[in-house]
Amino acid sequence: RVRNAERCARFATRSSTRVKHEGAVSTVQVSVLLPECSSAPSHLDSVLNNFSSFYLIKKLPVYELLDRHFLETAVYHGAVFGLSYRTRIDEDNCVALMPNGHLTLSLDKDSFEILGFEGKPSRFKHRTATRFVVSVDLTDSSMAPGRRSYLRLLTSLKSRLQLQTDFLLSHHPGGGASIQPLLSRCDWSQHRPEVNCRVLTNLPCPAPLSCDPHSFLEWLGAVDAGISCENSSSSFLSSFVCPEPNTMHRHALSVSVSGLLLPHDIHRLLQELRRYVEQPRLASWVSMTVRGFADSPVSCSNHEHGFLRGGENFYTLMMFHDHTYQLHLAMGAHDVCPP
Amino acid sequence: MAVFMDLNVPFLPDRSDLRSVVETAAHLGFSTIALNYVFEPTAKKKQEIPTPTPINELIDQLPMVQGRSRPIRVLNRLTVLMSDASHFRPNAPEYRCFDLLAVQPTSEKLFHAACMVYDIDIICVPMTEKLPFFFKRAPINGAIDRGVVFEVSYSAAIRDSTMRRYTIANAVSLMESCKGKSVILSSAAQKALELRGPYDVTNLALLFGLSDGDAKEAVSSTCRAALLHAETRRTASGIIYTTRSQREAPQGSEDGRFESSHLYRRYRCLCCVAIELQWNKVMMSESNTPSGLYYWIVIYA
Repeated sequence: RVRNAERCARFATRSSTRVKHEGAVSTVQVSVLLPECSSAPSHLDSVLNNFSSFYLIKKLPVYELLDRHFLETAVYHGAVFGLSYRTRIDEDNCVALMPNGHLTLSLDKDSFEILGFEGKPSRFKHRTATRFVVSVDLTDSSMAPGRRSYLRLLTSLKSRLQLQTDFLLSHHPGGGASIQPLLSRCDWSQHRPEVNCRVLTNLPCPAPLSCDPHSFLEWLGAVDAGISCENSSSSFLSSFVCPEPNTMHRHALSVSVSGLLLPHDIHRLLQELRRYVEQPRLASWVSMTVRGFADSPVSCSNHEHGFLRGGENFYTLMMFHDHTYQLHLAMGAHDVCPP
Repeated sequence: MAVFMDLNVPFLPDRSDLRSVVETAAHLGFSTIALNYVFEPTAKKKQEIPTPTPINELIDQLPMVQGRSRPIRVLNRLTVLMSDASHFRPNAPEYRCFDLLAVQPTSEKLFHAACMVYDIDIICVPMTEKLPFFFKRAPINGAIDRGVVFEVSYSAAIRDSTMRRYTIANAVSLMESCKGKSVILSSAAQKALELRGPYDVTNLALLFGLSDGDAKEAVSSTCRAALLHAETRRTASGIIYTTRSQREAPQGSEDGRFESSHLYRRYRCLCCVAIELQWNKVMMSESNTPSGLYYWIVIYA
């Protein structure tokens, strides 16, 4: 069985007036590349600087997420999203709380056996199952506070496996008050997503529709990481080149926002970029890359996510002047490609 | 999946060098390392097996593993370079202070004995010279059934190009015989620069002929299996686990101690009773001795 496909990269060209955004829920970074632009227009700037802030809770005991009051005020309204921080999906136990009320625990074998709750072995197993996923729908009637499964999970997390992780928590706008009681019991700090703006000069840009999507994606990644594609002869020969045919742009703006980002903020950014590209400009395209957490137990559409040698799960949206777009989706080896 | 481990970090007498190696290992993402004390018995003079220095004397504050919120765990390991069958003494009391026991055989007979008979955890495959013997399936399968793992170390390949050839050749022939099971990869790094991160080591393992999943296991799950095997070996098949705690001596107490032979007999007796009655778990409470030391006896099968 060929398991050597490290990337399951697909791209689709569509033409539509509405781009439906249903991307990775847990986003860690959004990068935007605007060719032939030397400074961000004011609307775009205001959107970039108004991403919602998020909270980092140190050593949150996971049973607190099952607190009755927290469930009633926050989880049932679909207002919160949380992810464990500084836990590696292939080494530690990871926890994710989705806005749709699903609590996912990705546990190693010992922790799963100690916890004693129902779970399934991970899809990505080698010879024997060493990783188990416990996925619980908190909005389901069987998990209502007081019911048997709820009490079982609560006692398991309180007494059997005292799972404690650093936790990143974010809420949809207007839901701030619902998580205050939880925060008041823990050691928390608030953070804003970090925005980095760079102006690049004399950048060779390939024509997006005329070159191979893999090489275009690689070039885009090189630009975002600040890797020079000049390929000048020196003691170190790099194999990163700008795909042909390319044109030289005098300026380009590369912006990246990092932190725990919510879908509605990304949606607003997307709409703003669409408005930007529709106006007549020198360059006819704009690209936006949305990256998910490498160590998240779930990737887009609630599929399981793993980390073999790389945990990348990101998509790149190329928007053109004539209302068409191209979507590039890249996943690692331990991922499920969405349909 | 288990955490990443490097079970062969040679013990360096210079404290600052050792500290830099441990810090580099934590920075690269290894959650557990084992300091390797190499013992090479020669026929000429009687040598003593080195005793491991406690880690808190070597390093004050263990560094945090990068990307996680725990400090790195440091264990002790002994490697015996065997050129004769008398060099490895089974059940020697000096072996008890080491967490892991390894053996490096130099001839076919010793390799066979190490795989089938000796009570060890790791068999080191020499990487710095051409293999003096060929691997046969029978002893290797015997070792895999017993839970003994084979170790391939990669830092020789970093140091020298001739060693690189030997490393790859020896590793490939090992993988052909053992089919990628029960293999661990470790550095035998003399300096911090010779350490490589776990994912890099996984990529290196692909060169040796391991598959993706096997390569990742060689740095994580198989190392964990070797550690558990060592713990089982030390605790008499996982039946008796004893721990000693210090408590403040009560007022007016005398400084008395139990004789070790008396305690040993008591442990053996309890062990036999437990096996006979097929108890799953027995926890004995502490026995308060006049000297203020108390022993917990936990028996689980």
